[in-house]
Amino acid sequence: MAIPGINSVHNFARSTIYKLVDAMPAVTINSKKLSDSIKWAGQHISSPQNRLILGATALMSQPFIDLNNKRVDEETRKTSAARTVAKIIAGTTTGFFVRYYCIKAIEAFTKDPKTLKEGEKYKSVLYPKNILRVTKKGLKHHKMALGTVISLGVMMFTNFLIDAPLTKILTNKFVAKIKENDAKKSKGVSDG
Amino acid sequence: MANLTLIDKFYKKFCENPGKMLIHTGVIGWIMSSAAQIFAIAINDKIPKEQKMFMVPQEFADACVNILSFYAVTRTFTSFADKMVKCGKLIQKPTKKWLIKNGYENLLGKTKFDISKIKLPAAQRRSHELFKDGVDLTAATVGGIISCNIITPVIRNLYASKRQKQGIAYLNKKYPKKSQISDKQYHNVSMADFQTRAYSLSSGLKI
Repeated sequence: MAIPGINSVHNFARSTIYKLVDAMPAVTINSKKLSDSIKWAGQHISSPQNRLILGATALMSQPFIDLNNKRVDEETRKTSAARTVAKIIAGTTTGFFVRYYCIKAIEAFTKDPKTLKEGEKYKSVLYPKNILRVTKKGLKHHKMALGTVISLGVMMFTNFLIDAPLTKILTNKFVAKIKENDAKKSKGVSDG
Repeated sequence: MANLTLIDKFYKKFCENPGKMLIHTGVIGWIMSSAAQIFAIAINDKIPKEQKMFMVPQEFADACVNILSFYAVTRTFTSFADKMVKCGKLIQKPTKKWLIKNGYENLLGKTKFDISKIKLPAAQRRSHELFKDGVDLTAATVGGIISCNIITPVIRNLYASKRQKQGIAYLNKKYPKKSQISDKQYHNVSMADFQTRAYSLSSGLKI
């Protein structure tokens, strides 16, 4: 069913992108090295690695944004930054491993039945057996989509059972450390 | 034709474009993650109430802004990069050479033009597809970094600070007799405030 509001937003976004593309100068990649690097990234960086990149860059930006939030008092700023760091560490670690192992599991169970021996048929349980022409790209997308669904299901549990408690433990550790440092500093000032 | 299993139907639905599903699962993922984090803040008895008043809305805003900025920024980045490669505005030298040689020079770079619909030689096609995948991934990563790691924390902090102020004002109104919680407890302290605190906290202060 067509939703006029969403369609008009979509059309607006599309025409804006078209205008942007029109306004951009043409770029030809002459360097083979650069071209190969771009292709390498597309082939080798998948969802788990992407999660690591986002986590690493989050550590480089988010705590500093929290620490510079002058709208709240210093104590809240520090606790908030500590919790942000804890959340990034917990979320990135769990997110990376969940994605990595889900993809591994899907790879293991999406084998083409024609390539398997008699006792290994279980390795094709996630392979689309009744589709006449399974393309390489289609299978790649199939695995990606399956991986997303399965990791979402796994994360439903790990979010509550690992992420949240780990964030709490790390936050408390970091806050205790901050308080210890603050106490040392203020003691130093009063002694001095 | 054999009956299609759930896995076959799944393949049929997502073999062309898994992106349409990634959007929905991404949104669900953010909501779930924020729910877990709000739960973690709520059960953390070492975080004072007034700080929770900042962190709970901060986490809530984190999910909402992440979703919005994902659509507004990350998707724009990926669509833009996708279009740039599709129409040949961003192109590898060998592909460009082939297209010019085969009479596509005038179409190259026009938004209506789509290289993937041209019958390129197999090696060229493969190279172009790999290049497109790489550009898509780079755009999604850069867009993700800008939206999740820069735009979201700035906006969520603005919203959460506002909510904390409202919460503290509510608490002070509800419990006027108890010691007043100030949202300016640790900064912008007036001289009178500073003296009162210094006198009450420091026994060794000689005046």
